[in-house]
Amino acid sequence: MIRVIIRRLLWFIPVFFLVTGITFVTMHALPGGPFDSDKTPPALVRQMEATFGLRQPLYKQYTIWLGNVLQLKFGPSLAARGKPVESFLLPGLAVSAQLGAFALLFALAIGLPAGILAALKRGQWQDRLAMLISILGVSVPAIVLGPVLYWLFGLHLGWLPVAKWADPSDGLWPYISHAILPAVTLGAGLSAIVARLTRASLLQVLYEDYIRTARAKGLAERVVTIRHALRNSLIPVVTYLGPLAAGVLTGSLIVEQIFAIPGMGRYFVSSISNRDYPMVMAVVVLYAFIIVMVNLLVDILYVFIDPRIENT
Amino acid sequence: MHRSSWMFLALAVCLALVAGCAAPVGAPTTGVETEETAAPAEVATGDEVVIRLSTTSEPTTLDPNLAEDYYSITPVEQMFLGLTNINNETAEIEPELAESWETSEDGLTWTFNLRDDVLWSDGQPVTAQDVVYSVKRAIMPETASPYAYVLYIIKNASAINQTAVPTDTYAIDTLGVEAVDEHTVQFTLEAPASYFLSISSMWTLRPVPSWTIEEFGDAWTDPANIVVNGAYKVTEWNPGESLTFVKNDSYVNAADVQIERVELAVITDQNTEVALYESGELDVAGEGAGSLPVEEVTRIREDATLGAELHEGPRASTTYVGFTMTKAPFDNVLVRKAFSAAIDRETMVRDVVGSGVPATQFAPPGIFGAPDPEIGIGFDAAQAQAWLAEAGYPDGAGFPTVTYRYFANTLEEALAQALQAMWKETLNVDVQIEAQEFPVFLAGLKNDVPLEQMPEMWRLGWGADYPDENNWVYEVFHCTDSSNYPRATCTEADELAKQAALEPDQAVRKELYAQVETLMFQEEVRVAPYYHRGYTILTKPYVQRAYPTFAPVNWDTWRIER
Repeated sequence: MIRVIIRRLLWFIPVFFLVTGITFVTMHALPGGPFDSDKTPPALVRQMEATFGLRQPLYKQYTIWLGNVLQLKFGPSLAARGKPVESFLLPGLAVSAQLGAFALLFALAIGLPAGILAALKRGQWQDRLAMLISILGVSVPAIVLGPVLYWLFGLHLGWLPVAKWADPSDGLWPYISHAILPAVTLGAGLSAIVARLTRASLLQVLYEDYIRTARAKGLAERVVTIRHALRNSLIPVVTYLGPLAAGVLTGSLIVEQIFAIPGMGRYFVSSISNRDYPMVMAVVVLYAFIIVMVNLLVDILYVFIDPRIENT
Repeated sequence: MHRSSWMFLALAVCLALVAGCAAPVGAPTTGVETEETAAPAEVATGDEVVIRLSTTSEPTTLDPNLAEDYYSITPVEQMFLGLTNINNETAEIEPELAESWETSEDGLTWTFNLRDDVLWSDGQPVTAQDVVYSVKRAIMPETASPYAYVLYIIKNASAINQTAVPTDTYAIDTLGVEAVDEHTVQFTLEAPASYFLSISSMWTLRPVPSWTIEEFGDAWTDPANIVVNGAYKVTEWNPGESLTFVKNDSYVNAADVQIERVELAVITDQNTEVALYESGELDVAGEGAGSLPVEEVTRIREDATLGAELHEGPRASTTYVGFTMTKAPFDNVLVRKAFSAAIDRETMVRDVVGSGVPATQFAPPGIFGAPDPEIGIGFDAAQAQAWLAEAGYPDGAGFPTVTYRYFANTLEEALAQALQAMWKETLNVDVQIEAQEFPVFLAGLKNDVPLEQMPEMWRLGWGADYPDENNWVYEVFHCTDSSNYPRATCTEADELAKQAALEPDQAVRKELYAQVETLMFQEEVRVAPYYHRGYTILTKPYVQRAYPTFAPVNWDTWRIER
């Protein structure tokens, strides 16, 4: 097990070089730079680029960046003059991760039972209802669901705050109440996916021979379902959820914008149009690292779910 | 326990959590009956006067020498005093740090006499040396100030700022600024420029604390380090979330400042901003650089309560359709005139944008030198068709398909589609609209881009840096001294614009600029301006404040009266 973990972590190194190399070259190939504007004269723009080392040959810029990264310094943001990129990214990541965790929790809490119910009551009204709701969850986009939720629960009923984010230090209820609507908005689509996957996978397992054997042996239906069928059906769900979780944990631009949450989602998008090269690189490294870690976690979970799977 | 039991337990816990969340016990309600307004949330702790504002984008910097965008300039304005100030109500330039100023006979030397009672927040006096330091810092190429170019009128500023360091060197002391004594600053200009007074109100040359900068470097604007001389000081900055400003007690006019704390929340989505205003968590909404989306504005205008709280007016910003004058068929002035006359400006403003004022000239009234009443080509379908026919394309026959390029965002897309429809309807021509990401878009318009790759028409706009026509017709459109995106050849208009920059008599300047605008936008039609932007701001009735057209706001003049 330890060997597996170490090998997986070592995989991060070639991934790192591949991902950052491609991103670096692509970003610099895009027309336009961080200081371009219709107001600043071109000579001044060139001067500013030189000051930030952007007129050197690409390989040189990359090596300098690499050297800094090894010292865990990701460089100054070009958009927010001078401030080190980490000073934005890390607090943003902390908030996004919390929001993502709440969303995942919601997705699992709703999606898993819904999927199980649908599979067990296949063809009956519970199944149809669950699947109808899951279609809605996937098709109603966050940009519609979010405002509808905050209008209904925030403005109209006044039960929950309309927007913004609270810290746990502000109190438990403020923290949770601010997180509910964005978590539901973000988790709705996810829960739909979880429900459908669980249903499909469980259905498949329920018709396996060994399940029939278990029933034949006289085991209670609940034991058969949960202890035997459910566990084995979770493999596809976990596989799919892994990278999905990575995406959710690193922030959703739309939900964070709608609810004015200071997450890191917007840095993914804004850094590109700002041509904020250090920020783009930092965001990419962070994301790659998280994906690698999440995949590792998924592999470890496999061992617990299905001992037949051997990690070599 | 067995592994499966862990699963079940985890599931049960999740369900319990969700069940608990779905039925909030003791949740605070605000007693809302209707969906329109909620009771205003409690505002002050004790007797502190607090106002809650929002910004759609975080400031990129709080350094006056580096501030470039509206979101950074606004906080800089509150924290750092300028030589002069643009009065928010009268739009006049009034003394701020400088009590008085004189110009020499030849217009080349400007002397500003500073007040001697202004202090920095750490107790140091504000001196002429601080002004000189700031101007030098803004011009030094190492600072990489994006607004250095507005100071190019100062002697040697352009040469120094564009020195290719580190290979070349410069002598900063040759810059035309000096501290004659502790409270007198003297500027030497490259050429006489009456608009220098407007420039003196800008943020780029406001004095900055040299000792703080030398000690902390880039981190000097951090709340823990920053030293200010204005009415407010930033005390907290949560990235992406909010900034807090507190009244500066060492501010020379501190006694007149009523609002003691300003909470500036970062709310990117304008619909959310309005929702927070309605729920009582914001005191002002819509103060971003743009205006509220047209759907929101329509709804707000029709609402009894909100409609009364909506304030609308002009901004010093104009949007136009640019023409590539060297590319056929737009090398024919008649074609340009036709396309300009085919734009139904009223409809654009009312139905597509939702705010603003139709425009036929470039600089809006309010900018010094702007023709008043407006000149230029307005919407006239018959005239547009006549011009197109005269150009050789009666009823659009034989007119090639041309491209209109714009940068991608919701409003621009709506504008592009409206323009396309208007040109089709009035002129019967086919225009392809093409969106590009802003940096790509801008890079694609530069003068060195080959003609085949240039679109025939494109969208740009201009917002005032300082309220003078020089910043408009000269710095945007001069055939050699500006970016000149339309690629116009030099005509009398450029001569006159240059002349007006040097002319000391303001009345003569006004006349010259009227001629320049008429030539550039009515005769030559280098571009087709079609609307001046407006602001749509919601303000709670208990906030008394002014709504400046182009000056940054002054929070210290606002009052809260409950």
